[in-house]
Amino acid sequence: MYRTQDEVSLLRASLNGEVEAWGEIVTRYRDAVFGLCLGFLRNRADAEDIAHDAFIRAYANLRRYKIERKFSTWVFTIAANLCRNRLRYRRNHPVVEWETDLEGSVDPARAVAREDRHKKVRESLTQLPYAYRAPLVLRFYNDLSYHEIAEVLAIPEGTVKTRIHRGKAMLREMLEEERDVT
Amino acid sequence: MNVDALENVLREALREEVEVSSESLSGFEQRVVAEIEGRRPRVGVLDTLRLAVAPTHAGRVGQLAVVAVTAAAFLVVGLWVGDRTPTAPAAVGEIATLRAAAAPESLEGSGPGKPEGLVFIVPALQAESVSVVGSFNEWEPTKLTDEDGDGIWTATIPLPPGRYEYAFIIDGRWWGQDPLADEYVRSFGEFSSVRYVVGGGDGV
Repeated sequence: MYRTQDEVSLLRASLNGEVEAWGEIVTRYRDAVFGLCLGFLRNRADAEDIAHDAFIRAYANLRRYKIERKFSTWVFTIAANLCRNRLRYRRNHPVVEWETDLEGSVDPARAVAREDRHKKVRESLTQLPYAYRAPLVLRFYNDLSYHEIAEVLAIPEGTVKTRIHRGKAMLREMLEEERDVT
Repeated sequence: MNVDALENVLREALREEVEVSSESLSGFEQRVVAEIEGRRPRVGVLDTLRLAVAPTHAGRVGQLAVVAVTAAAFLVVGLWVGDRTPTAPAAVGEIATLRAAAAPESLEGSGPGKPEGLVFIVPALQAESVSVVGSFNEWEPTKLTDEDGDGIWTATIPLPPGRYEYAFIIDGRWWGQDPLADEYVRSFGEFSSVRYVVGGGDGV
């Protein structure tokens, strides 16, 4: 039933306590929010945890959402803030093993077919400082504009542009260094 | 690798790692909905109307300006009192002043033997919610309260002696530079405040 409804109707229904409508919103934004969290945190378990929390908090605060604002940007902002808090927590409570290799659950045929450079890019991204990694993820995974990234991360648009430019340069350097070594 | 190639590989690599996680995400929506069902927030017709009328951001800008001006005023008062009490550290003088202004009853029973901790005081006249996140609560929000509605939000958190990093979340926005902080640090692209809890009855 909710499949055919537009986003505003779903949000209004959610505000009226129709949790199933919120379930449809979650379905629509699940991958985008989870991908943001995974890109920021570089840890699948933490990303799932924070994505879940982001949707719970967004629902709990839905009455504060302003309809003239893009919903995706609003929910991304909540997720980004939660990620940042988790990273602060992880600084003092590091996990035993960071999941830099995310291919564990993939079937072998698919893993073989995957291009090696994708894996290297992900590993390099993990090593990038958060300040550069976050804008890159929002730009190239979530397809946000510079203006939207600035809004989500609460930093000036000029800083976003600088960090994306510098982040890409750092990534390229890392990949070239690795290529020279191998 | 040229710029376009790098952007494409980055885009594909990020999408791929979400794809391979799709198995563990099955039932994600149901888990979210189940948790919400377990603790439904109070929402209703008024909230729906509020969403429908779509208020502007102008009010929020004004609110932040009031917060900033009030915070500056509190800082000046705190420093003035701190200067007049040379035997006490400035931060303690500021806290005592603000505590007296915000919640006089909280001073009762203070002194040696009382557990150490931090008193958080935030002047935020039009805020709907104020929380503090920090190294003492695993960066999970602890709500400040404004029971008398005077716009001064407070929280008292007993803590053992140590160094604590924190920031306030005022209506969802990060506010990392508390005028009462001992120092500030910059991490993850923004400021956080730092306060020290010392032993010997200087606490809450």
